[in-house]
Amino acid sequence: MTKNSIAAATLAGSLAAAFTMISIASSAPAPAQPNADKCYGVSLAGKNDCAAGPGTTCAGTSKVDYQGNAWKYVAKGTCATMKTPKGMGSLKAM
Amino acid sequence: MTAAFSAIQASFADALLDADRPVPGALTLQAAGAPRKRFAVYRNNVIVGLVEALRAQFPATEKIVGGEFFAAMARVYAVTQPPRSPILLHHGNGFPGFIEQFEPAAELPYLADVARLEIARTRAYHAADAPTLDPSRWEGLDPAALVGARVTLHPSLQILRSLYPVVTIWAMNAGDAEPSSIEDSGPEDALIVRPDLDVQVRRLPAGGAAFLHALAAGASLGDAATSAIADHPEFDLTANLAGLIGAGLATELHCTPTPKDIAP
Amino acid sequence: MPIPSRLPAAAGVGFKPQHFADIIGGEQPIGFVEIHAENYMGAGGPPHAQLGALRERYALSVHGVGLSIGGAAALDAEHLARLKLLCDRYQPDSFSEHLAWSSHGEVFYNDLLPLPYTPETLARIVEHIDLVQTTLGREMLLENPSTYVTFVDSTFPETEFLAEIARRSGCGLLLDVNNVFVSAKNHGTDPTSYLAAFPMARVKEIHLGGHDEQTDDDGAPLLIDAHGSPVADPVWALYENAIARSGPLATLIEWDNNVPAWPVLAREARAASDILSRAAAAKAA
Repeated sequence: MTKNSIAAATLAGSLAAAFTMISIASSAPAPAQPNADKCYGVSLAGKNDCAAGPGTTCAGTSKVDYQGNAWKYVAKGTCATMKTPKGMGSLKAM
Repeated sequence: MTAAFSAIQASFADALLDADRPVPGALTLQAAGAPRKRFAVYRNNVIVGLVEALRAQFPATEKIVGGEFFAAMARVYAVTQPPRSPILLHHGNGFPGFIEQFEPAAELPYLADVARLEIARTRAYHAADAPTLDPSRWEGLDPAALVGARVTLHPSLQILRSLYPVVTIWAMNAGDAEPSSIEDSGPEDALIVRPDLDVQVRRLPAGGAAFLHALAAGASLGDAATSAIADHPEFDLTANLAGLIGAGLATELHCTPTPKDIAP
Repeated sequence: MPIPSRLPAAAGVGFKPQHFADIIGGEQPIGFVEIHAENYMGAGGPPHAQLGALRERYALSVHGVGLSIGGAAALDAEHLARLKLLCDRYQPDSFSEHLAWSSHGEVFYNDLLPLPYTPETLARIVEHIDLVQTTLGREMLLENPSTYVTFVDSTFPETEFLAEIARRSGCGLLLDVNNVFVSAKNHGTDPTSYLAAFPMARVKEIHLGGHDEQTDDDGAPLLIDAHGSPVADPVWALYENAIARSGPLATLIEWDNNVPAWPVLAREARAASDILSRAAAAKAA
């Protein structure tokens, strides 16, 4: 083992501390994940299979593809309202 | 003879994705009029079907740019990179790379990573199942054995390292919450995993991505911790072990025999 | 000898994950569920957990939407292997596919596309069905499509084409009554005559679904097989006539777009179930 390697005692100590951390948080989601966010915990327009992604269909569609030209569109979703310190949430044009 | 059949299908197929091509001549219609609208039903089914499939896989990406922009962007992708497989859940795999090159989206440099996070969610959703490791398996391990121990990570586990606050942006757009200010626009690493039936997205603590990457590559706990410290000096071993055990990220623990084990 | 299709002569629904809790939670007016094979080709997760639970309670129909049986090119061997894996895993009571193509060259077009009905295409489709039935070890049901165009080259009426495919390959048929209505209206033909000519003895399953009414460039009716609304009244009437002739058959309600809450879909299934009961009673009398 090189001298840069972590000592066995350090690792064992961390493991013991980790167990203490888990037992303290046992009724709550695991620690160290401040943004824990579960599929079913997020309301996605009534979908409970929100991560399922695309499904097939053997049907046609009555929706119409308007063949819009993407180059003419400006993104108008939440990017227009999200504010970030570096301005990367919104478009320059907005 | 087969050549004739194949040729009819080829001209039909080519005209499906390119509305500028004429309607295939082999078609006939009950009415003598223009066949455009009837053939257009097939064109429309193909395009709308592919765009809707992308919409279903990338809801946060869509919310960020809005429905109109998303549909137009997805349409260009579907036409220029149509699916090669009848399993539609694979079709989105090239979408983040496409977004990166898509000029109208250039002002949203984080968008491709949000799409990557959404792909990871789909993969985790459909990944193989595996029971997570019972935390009691970690108890009573000799410190030396612990340093050399290796783990098998859950088959659904994926890590996404981003230069942008990808987890924060995704979370803000995954639900019905109103987008708000992002205080810290620094990089974030995402962990996507499905230990049971629910896909979870978590922001990894400093060095956590390097730690898990090393473990996934077969490194021992000691070596993985060493790599993580090298990746980020603020790596917190205790917090990361708590995450590894508490969040059910491992399915197996492999301990190499220690001298004590070998001794009679 | 392939395993024959053996769905119960009851109503069924196309399974949607959002209905899982309802379907599992109590007695429902259905005897089987149908899934699209291609949505269950991942390794695990909720899709397989749900399908496993459904399989324990209901008869299962696996309905493929991506094999491109009507394609000029050879079938995709990898895809066929995936279908075999799925069928081996869940031992469905029926496997069905479409008289249509969806792949050409390297591309999957994600729609059920039409083909000319000629001796050449007939031979090709029979070859494909032989391979499917041999590989899966199961009888396959072939479904009549909704079409928006026809081909100048066609030499067979669709009913005769399907009858000949079934005769040569030994496959069963899946009669989609909504498709019969949609195609007939689109081509200005009579759906009742079509059904009268349909080889009912080969039919092992029926599909019912909603369609959307539009008009073409000349103002002629253009119906779209959209599966996004209740089954239309004339389709129910055609169904009742077909069932009166054949006797009760497994009958699926398809609702793939604008999927409604479970009670709405269950109501459609109950309506089919009532017609099946009446047909069974009439047969017994």
